[in-house]
Amino acid sequence: MKTKKRNISDTTLLLTITIVVFFAMYIGAMIFQGKGFLKLQTFFNILNANAALILMACGLTLVMIIGSIDISVGGVAALVSMCCAVYLDRNVLNPGENLTPGNVFVSMLIALGIGLAYGLVQGYLIAYLDIQPFIVSLAGMFFARGMTTIVHTNPFNVENPAFNELKEPVRVYFLGTVNKKGNLVPAKIEIGVFVALLIVLVLFFVLRYSKLGRSFYAVGGNKTSALMLGINVKKTKFLAHLMCGILAGIGGYVYFLHVGSGAASHASGAEMNAIASSIIGGTMLTGGVGNIIGTLFGVLSLATIQSIVSSAGFDQAWWTGITVAAMLCLFLVVQSIVIARKKKSLKKQA
Amino acid sequence: MSDFLFRKIISIILSVSLLCSLAGCTPAGDAEAESVVTPDDIIVVGFSQLGAESDWRSANTESMKSVFTKENGYELIFEDAQQKQTNQITAIRSFIQRDVDYIVLAPVTETGWDTVLSEAKEAGIPVIIVDRQVEVSDDSLFTCWVGSDFELEGRKVCMWMSKYFAKNGVNPSDVHIVDIQGTLGSTAQIGRTKGFDHMASLYGWDVVTHEVGDFTKSKAKEAMFAILRNYDNVNVVYCENDNEALGVIEVLEASGRKCGSNIKDGETMVVSFDGINKQAVSSLVAGQISCIGECNPLHGPRVESVIRKLRSGQEPYKYQYVNEKIYTNSNAVPSIMLGGKEYGVTVLNESDLYEWPY
Amino acid sequence: MANNNKSGSGFFGKLVHNQIIIPLAALLLLIVFNLIFDPSFFVITPKTNSAGNPVLSGYLITILDYGSELAILAIGMTLVTAASGGQDISVGATIAICGSALLRVLCGTNSRPETLQAPIIVGFLVACVVGMMCGAFNGILVAYFKIQPMVATLILFTAGRSIAAWINNNELPIVPDPKFAYFGGFIPGIPVPAPVFIAVVCIIVIFLVLKFTTLGLYTQAVGINPSSSRLNGLNPELVKFISFVILGLCVAVAALIKTSRLSTINYSVIAKDIEMDAILAVALGGNPLGGGKFNMWASIIGAYVIQFLTTTLYKFKVSSDALSAYKAVVVIVLVVFSAPTVREFIGSFFKKHSAKKGVA
Repeated sequence: MKTKKRNISDTTLLLTITIVVFFAMYIGAMIFQGKGFLKLQTFFNILNANAALILMACGLTLVMIIGSIDISVGGVAALVSMCCAVYLDRNVLNPGENLTPGNVFVSMLIALGIGLAYGLVQGYLIAYLDIQPFIVSLAGMFFARGMTTIVHTNPFNVENPAFNELKEPVRVYFLGTVNKKGNLVPAKIEIGVFVALLIVLVLFFVLRYSKLGRSFYAVGGNKTSALMLGINVKKTKFLAHLMCGILAGIGGYVYFLHVGSGAASHASGAEMNAIASSIIGGTMLTGGVGNIIGTLFGVLSLATIQSIVSSAGFDQAWWTGITVAAMLCLFLVVQSIVIARKKKSLKKQA
Repeated sequence: MSDFLFRKIISIILSVSLLCSLAGCTPAGDAEAESVVTPDDIIVVGFSQLGAESDWRSANTESMKSVFTKENGYELIFEDAQQKQTNQITAIRSFIQRDVDYIVLAPVTETGWDTVLSEAKEAGIPVIIVDRQVEVSDDSLFTCWVGSDFELEGRKVCMWMSKYFAKNGVNPSDVHIVDIQGTLGSTAQIGRTKGFDHMASLYGWDVVTHEVGDFTKSKAKEAMFAILRNYDNVNVVYCENDNEALGVIEVLEASGRKCGSNIKDGETMVVSFDGINKQAVSSLVAGQISCIGECNPLHGPRVESVIRKLRSGQEPYKYQYVNEKIYTNSNAVPSIMLGGKEYGVTVLNESDLYEWPY
Repeated sequence: MANNNKSGSGFFGKLVHNQIIIPLAALLLLIVFNLIFDPSFFVITPKTNSAGNPVLSGYLITILDYGSELAILAIGMTLVTAASGGQDISVGATIAICGSALLRVLCGTNSRPETLQAPIIVGFLVACVVGMMCGAFNGILVAYFKIQPMVATLILFTAGRSIAAWINNNELPIVPDPKFAYFGGFIPGIPVPAPVFIAVVCIIVIFLVLKFTTLGLYTQAVGINPSSSRLNGLNPELVKFISFVILGLCVAVAALIKTSRLSTINYSVIAKDIEMDAILAVALGGNPLGGGKFNMWASIIGAYVIQFLTTTLYKFKVSSDALSAYKAVVVIVLVVFSAPTVREFIGSFFKKHSAKKGVA
């Protein structure tokens, strides 16, 4: 009982830190940088560009809660983009034949199928064969990246009327603003954003109120006691990886919707960004601690700091990398201090 | 207990910050007039550069930065996309949000720009494309394009080679040539490859293979290494930029070959493009590279003149090609004819190196 | 870990449970594969390079040459894995940092100098210090802040290439002195590539260290159980910290070779994905990735096997981008066969089999 209570309060503490930091950063940007940050669309742009990352980070949060890891999500996203792109725009593989374009609905199934396959295989290897998750997903990432270039080497943009319609952002006119040339710029939100937010909501309830969600925390917190509680540890691990794989598939499709092209270099580094956002969102790699809402704010914080850096006149690309890393470093140190203090106070109580 | 207090504080902070952010968002239109820091006479230009992969690119960036300065009445917002189209799309969207006057785009690929360019058009911001071209359904999505005719560059260099071979009595079927391509899908690669393929089949050269060198020295070294393993009859290497050529020369020399124009005596001829990299130009003077097709990166002044025209209400030309030279180290071929036009060949020597502009 | 399994008796059982068998079996497999499909793979021919020096060329030389960095990194990675129970994923990025610092010292502020601005040894020492500082940074986070290695090194992984670009102001300096190219190429008069010698020196040094100091013992003790090693008077934090600093040093040496190969640097491409190869080398060596016991020989052989695989795939015209898919398949097969459950199964299978037939 006691450990469980501690975990939940850890979760809320780390979550609140993240949320406060995000709002502090955003408001700071509004005050000191003004210009773009005062517009609602800047926020939507952050969401549009990072909807896929939100989904992948959610998957990572799940596996990190059970104390595992998956670094293949970026590769899966690239593979999904390429396979869907090749399917939707068949003329790329058979130039000059003018084939009918592929069906958008089927392409979604392809994305889900790839995600599912990844989840099944990796989940089985990790949960039932007890192989290090890092190595399994490392190989998974290698495989996905290599496979992407085998499917098609050159990057290309998809020509498919139905798909191009789907990827158009939703225009919200009443949230739009008038720029200095006097034109009304409507607010634009991509469909992927709605998908991502919906899934965040569902996962939030699953983790919080369902038996499955609670067993995730139990397995990540302490395997032996989870076993004693009658939880099937292997099955729980398997399910977490399965869900992560499916989320990577969906995330890949959302990414594909955002960029509208297939390329082997797509979503490169996405796995690291996803892990970083999960950590900033208060998930701990030791397992047992984590929150989906935190992950959402983790992604937003990461994206916000990137856009602050680029609009603050630090025009060289390297500043983004350095600030993101600095932020990650800060959060990791805060986490470890928080945990150390908690442990001390627990000891005192005892 | 302290947790409770903590939570309360947090909830207060949160609600305050939420209110602030809402307040900050809604009156954006009104707050505009006051919050605009830049006075009207400063022209804000957003430049989305695709990366910093080669010397050509760095020179291009520098040229833009040196023209769009505060002294000249401009504010330049520069974004390096690190070779990713998504970063460029994000950058253009942020330019639109930050109310820039002009957007300059050096696109990483040719396709996939319709959505974001139409957003810029909706906002009434003119877009000037530099270097690589874009393929859009509607030409009015961008104002104009400034850059090089890459296919012509390729043809010019090939023409020079064929003239040179003819003069030195090299049989076309004895020309075993490989193409080290640039980043696949980029305008420069497409153009230079197209020019190469066209001329190679026209003159009946033996095209051994195409390999991708990504415009970088390291990738080109890797590619050349693989080529030498598999084909030992290669005697001409067509590199699609200088950085590739430098890598290729290193591999060739390390494997015991000599780089030079005299392929009859077993030398390996290397031709290249750009003419920015001083090391490459000195290799040309030293005879390791036989011919370089110039690709001029100094687009800053050209883009500025387009903006001046636009401000004075004039219509600039839609496609603005830059006149470019052919550099070589011997006067074996004084000029070439292509498409009914004569192009002079510039012979470089030691003294040119000291004044090389880059 | 697998060594003390009791179920494997008999010849096959022992073989299956010996750690070094994994990389050796993989190597054998690759050799047989190449022998069958193209025996010319093993041909080594003497040639002369442009400077008129004799050099050896052939696929085996390539493997030895390009496997050097990997072997050097595998040394450090093995220690880190054993001590901390995690891996350092920042080695590629740290190579970029060290290489950039090295070039900065050699070329000064001008990216195209006519002469060297500092002796190569000074540059190398600076690179070593930088590498050790990066290692120390990771080590502090892991040992004293108790952050999991993979996450702690994620920081430098994210920032490393940016820092490298920043050190040289995003310019790509070129070292003018041909002597600098010796470290990644050939020393005049010696037909074997120089990186091979550097790797051999590193291997000898680490074996002397392991033999004459207690580093190996302490590392294993800390990796197996930090709290009990503390009770025995060890300082687990310090041991972990030191293992990261050693890896930092290995990275600096690898950076020297890498930058010397090109005489310049490309921040986003240099040593790309090398962390994955280094970790694979450790895993292929049969070392438990969760820390504890380690076998340095197995890791080093593992590194060369990885390079063997890469070169073989290159030879069969697999493009460098598609390479990773094949590597992944090999890795999965290897880890599945080295997984405790599967090994147990195979071990008992052979045991049954040999008992039935009555053959050892």
